[in-house]
Amino acid sequence: MRLHFTAEQEAFRAEVRAWMARHVPKEPLITLECQWGFQQHVAWEKTLASGNWGMVTWPKTYGGRALDLIQWLIFEEEYFAAGGPNRANQNGIFLLGPTIMEFGSDEQKARFLPPMAAGEVIWAQAWSEPGAGSDMAAIRSTAIRDGDHYVINGQKTWSSRAAFADWGFGIFRTDPDSSRHKGLSFVLFDLNTPGITRRPIRQLHGETGFAELFFDDVRVPVENCLAGEGQGWNVAMATAGFERGLMLRSPGRFQATAKRLVDLYRQHQDAASPAAREAVVSAWMRAQAYCYNTYMVAAKIMAGGKIGAEASLNKIFWSELDRDMHRTAMQLLGAYAELKKFDDGSVNQWLEGYIFAHSGPIYAGSNEVQRNITAERLLGLPRVGAG
Amino acid sequence: MDFHFSEDSLLLASSVRDYLTDTHGVEVLRRLDADGAQDDAIWQGLVDMGLTALLIPEADGGLGRSLPEAALIAVECGRACVAEPLVDVAFVSVPYLLAKGDGASLGAYATGAVRAPLAHRINPYAIGTSGIAMQSVDPLRTLHAPTADTSDDPHLLNLGALMAGAQLVGVAEAMLHQAVEYAKVRQQFGQPIGAFQAIKHQLANCAVAIEFARPVLWRAASALADGLASAPVHVSHAKLAAGDAAILTAETAHQVHGAMGYTYEVDLHFWMKRAWAVQGYWGSRAFHYNRVEYAILGGSHPIGADASFA
Ligand SMILES: Cc1cc2nc3c(=O)[nH]c(=O)nc-3n(C[C@H](O)[C@H](O)[C@H](O)COP(=O)(O)OP(=O)(O)OC[C@H]3O[C@@H](n4cnc5c(N)ncnc54)[C@H](O)[C@@H]3O)c2cc1C
Repeated sequence: MRLHFTAEQEAFRAEVRAWMARHVPKEPLITLECQWGFQQHVAWEKTLASGNWGMVTWPKTYGGRALDLIQWLIFEEEYFAAGGPNRANQNGIFLLGPTIMEFGSDEQKARFLPPMAAGEVIWAQAWSEPGAGSDMAAIRSTAIRDGDHYVINGQKTWSSRAAFADWGFGIFRTDPDSSRHKGLSFVLFDLNTPGITRRPIRQLHGETGFAELFFDDVRVPVENCLAGEGQGWNVAMATAGFERGLMLRSPGRFQATAKRLVDLYRQHQDAASPAAREAVVSAWMRAQAYCYNTYMVAAKIMAGGKIGAEASLNKIFWSELDRDMHRTAMQLLGAYAELKKFDDGSVNQWLEGYIFAHSGPIYAGSNEVQRNITAERLLGLPRVGAG
Repeated sequence: MDFHFSEDSLLLASSVRDYLTDTHGVEVLRRLDADGAQDDAIWQGLVDMGLTALLIPEADGGLGRSLPEAALIAVECGRACVAEPLVDVAFVSVPYLLAKGDGASLGAYATGAVRAPLAHRINPYAIGTSGIAMQSVDPLRTLHAPTADTSDDPHLLNLGALMAGAQLVGVAEAMLHQAVEYAKVRQQFGQPIGAFQAIKHQLANCAVAIEFARPVLWRAASALADGLASAPVHVSHAKLAAGDAAILTAETAHQVHGAMGYTYEVDLHFWMKRAWAVQGYWGSRAFHYNRVEYAILGGSHPIGADASFA
């Protein structure tokens, strides 16, 4: 156990910090969840890629820097400390990317990874269906083999950024006679393929964050299937592991929020209740605990270990921390909390964050489902009935 | 940056765990409860394992292990609900004396001749000392109002609080395990109660609290070992996280046991009472919370992701 950074790691931190200071937009970008905001964020992805910061852990051949997980954590810490924008391609780089790395053929890696790291192709995840939310094995959309194509029919929903994105990765039933976890396949498709209709859905904040996708005899080449027909469930579970585990929500993000919360508290402390004060201190402690835990997980993975169902503990922890921090901020803001913009014209980021924080305990597998997984797979309690 | 225990450290901890599982099971706790909580043979066993000399440098005949490793073993002492004052003697008093450069008495610690920890003013009553006996809710804790001089050295306090936190994590893990095992076998409405989500989710909450208390403990142990100026904040954070996890788990485990949990027959009570006792030992929740609050809101402790390991 050695809890300090090497000179090399500190130098790397300084390099990231200097680059971010020069490149992170001074004015926060407008929300990612609308056409214009999305374009701004895609432009930012390209700026990042121009500095070779798209996905630092990836091999150089795929547009990365071949850095280790500690360097990735440092990168993320500096990224969020500098106020770096949300990643338009997060579902690509954090979810699909690692999945292709693990399950893809060499040809698929070479084809899909470099444009992903470069921010040239933005990806949307198309798993959920109207009848298949938490119960993803209830998926009904089909991809039926016809020569060297699949013909896709059905409907997906809640697909983040699908209204504006370029490609999607979905799970479809390739065996029409199958049920539940069997007969599913993981298929990548161009969102502009004929037969796909996108219907944007307005989110809680009023913007178009996600979309419904309708598939009507959509033809997709068979080489777009990942890991082979019928492997969809296994591949999806690995992707979900990346989502809940290390990648999607690195600690730097929550530590940056906790720090801003302490600053907010200082501005409002005369009117703050003791409970709000304790909530601020607790936010710092929990963000730190999340950080230490992540460094432990990183060390474990670097030593050749894997994370399994523990990823569920992570997901519960960060999503509830995020919601609690933003609630505390709303309480500190008092009468200002409801304002979309403050007197000085700046956007009320706490309000936006609070709205978004409501989705954390739902997406990436609801926290109830994560608690089921924790109880059944980590603690070994019996699985009876649903769940 | 390498945030994990070596194979060797984990092996050491698991050997202590195995030893305690074999020699310090619930029947021992029941016997100690009935016969008075001190047992020379148990103490001698811990001495023979080398645990009293764990932190004494190899040059002085000890094992020369580190503070984080001692914390790892303190977790095991909590898990086994050890009554002997090993942690306070060997993992608190010894490193304190070493830090003070006071090596003269270490031999007596190594051999187990010293069985009473150094007293600190933060604890009005101390374990294993002599003085006026006080009764703890924990039947295995022998408490006394110290008559000898008590220290008010913050380093001693920090060591004590760190190791109290470590024991609390072990206590919490033991209670969670007992509750899970009970939930698997107790049947109601034709199924094990552990199949009910209301039970699952409460136990999952305990697992989350414990999972995220543990790394805070290692962070604190390492900060204290490295002599960081920020160590007191980390120690208080660890004691809070561990204490909160232990109390949550105690209440939850009790609930899961139903009326069984409210009896003296089910052994859970030993661990619950240890949690109640240790949560306020080496500094109350308020004491440690205030230390963190002062540092964080007062601005003396740097915050932000780049300061996590400063
Ligand atoms: C902001 C946002 C972005 C999203 N982005 C995407 C995306 O890009 N791609 C995609 O495919 N999907 C996406 N989703 C969908 C997300 O994966 C689902 O919302 C999630 O899986 C839950 O499904 P559901 O909404 O149908 O809720 P339901 O499954 O209907 O659940 C409703 C409630 O019932 C509870 N519940 C359900 N089953 C159980 C059970 N077994 N035990 C206990 N409680 C249970 C849930 O926890 C929840 O509280 C997104 C969702 C949100 C909010």
